[in-house]
Amino acid sequence: MLEVRNLQVSYGAIEAVRDVSLSARSGHITALIGANGAGKSSLMRAISGVTPATSGQILVNGRDITRLKPHERARVGVAHAMEGRRILHQHTVEENLVTAWHFRKPPGSFKQALEKVYSNFPVLAERRRAKAGTLSGGQQQMLILSMATQHEPPVVLLDEPSLGLAPIIVTQIFEYIKAYSAEGNRVVLLSEQMATLALKVADYGYVLKHGQVVFDGDRKQLNDGVADLSSAYLGTTG
Amino acid sequence: MDFFIQMLASGLSVGAVYALVGLGLNLTFWTTRVLNFGQGAVLMVGAMVTAVLIASGTHVIFAVAVALLTAAFILILIEALAVRPLAKATGSMGWIVSTLGAGILLQGLASWRFGTQAVAFPDVLFSSADTVQFLGAYISVQYIAVFVISVLIVVLMELFLRRSTWGYAVRAVAHDNEFAALLGIPVRRVVLASFMVSGLLAGVAGILVSQVSGTVDPGFGMHLLILAFVATVVGGMGSAFGSLVGGLLLGVLEKLVGGYWSPAAAEIVAFILLVGVLTIRPQGLFGKPEAVKV
Repeated sequence: MLEVRNLQVSYGAIEAVRDVSLSARSGHITALIGANGAGKSSLMRAISGVTPATSGQILVNGRDITRLKPHERARVGVAHAMEGRRILHQHTVEENLVTAWHFRKPPGSFKQALEKVYSNFPVLAERRRAKAGTLSGGQQQMLILSMATQHEPPVVLLDEPSLGLAPIIVTQIFEYIKAYSAEGNRVVLLSEQMATLALKVADYGYVLKHGQVVFDGDRKQLNDGVADLSSAYLGTTG
Repeated sequence: MDFFIQMLASGLSVGAVYALVGLGLNLTFWTTRVLNFGQGAVLMVGAMVTAVLIASGTHVIFAVAVALLTAAFILILIEALAVRPLAKATGSMGWIVSTLGAGILLQGLASWRFGTQAVAFPDVLFSSADTVQFLGAYISVQYIAVFVISVLIVVLMELFLRRSTWGYAVRAVAHDNEFAALLGIPVRRVVLASFMVSGLLAGVAGILVSQVSGTVDPGFGMHLLILAFVATVVGGMGSAFGSLVGGLLLGVLEKLVGGYWSPAAAEIVAFILLVGVLTIRPQGLFGKPEAVKV
């Protein structure tokens, strides 16, 4: 369970996240829905620690992680795939996976984790010695997803994992995310601009606008309100 | 022919030291995007401390150890006082002045403490009288030792960066420090370690280059820093191997031009080489073009 209490994030005078409280349940996929600039990324960055929160609290399974540095949060099990397909371009696929494993110091064997990654995404096995920068967009997203989940963290934050990908790849990636969350009773928080896309996978959703939660509900409630939501809060209709 | 081989040997040994200096510059540049203009003075401190301690009767090994630790400690101070405070202002170019200032301060301290006169550098590696014959030319054993040690260090560093998990971490911090932190990499510790190792490299390079030139004075670092910078840029900022090739190329060219034409022309040639390479390959001979996302 991931709990966020009264979180505030400011960049100078600009308040990107204003008094946001939310909880994301284990075994469920929780969506953050909102237009560009609604504060989805800032919220995630505060949870993983790359942007320190101005005030508020973040709890993972009851443990307060608000004061931990980002690399320490990574070690207690918060994985964050940032927007913009961030990856180590000059490292090979396998070096990316080794680096993502080694410094989080997870229990278990890297060899087994690696085999699992390669059986989930055989194309990564084929390209294990290729520089990550040379992969296609879909392959990079598979690698990013594997780097965020191979050590089986209890909390995974995915910032717009579908952005710029072909629909068939999006389906494959969402299937993977669903299975990951369900099989280990883990928290997955994912952000989406498209409400319709988010509702394909999410069990629960929070709609953000100008850094505040303006609506939240389960899939059915969100579905019923999707037309209103789109025009009222999202600016674009998906 | 003898003369050519002698010039070649001295060029290779000096060039290997340029590579070593360049590697030290590169290491901290990778992790912080800051070019440490104070590095030249750290080379001087490494050599000066060694020379002064040995002159006062200290054992060679102890003198070298103290010199290297001093150099590493100075780099940690530079990081804490001249680099980190300025990193808070994103996009600030203040580090150019602060690192240069740190170097000038060190140079001033050395002049005040040891005088501005050149000090004779003692024989740390073999004796300056030791030579071996190669193709009829006498080559100083010191040149060979300096070359071997420098190349060995550069190769080991390249292996460390390419083959070890901590090397992966250094490259990850270099590429994207925010992302590196999310992978559990202790970014601060990697940055500090890079400055420490850079200091050790500067200390070693200072000692080696003084062994070849025979003297050390408080001002000798700046000249060396500029040549090492040229070597690194020619080789490519992102590559330890590039530094080595750039350094050797520059060292040999400098000695050949100096020997056959005039020592005064050596620096002209260095900068012609720099401009020439950069015109054809802006990223350097072995560098990778950097794409910056805006």
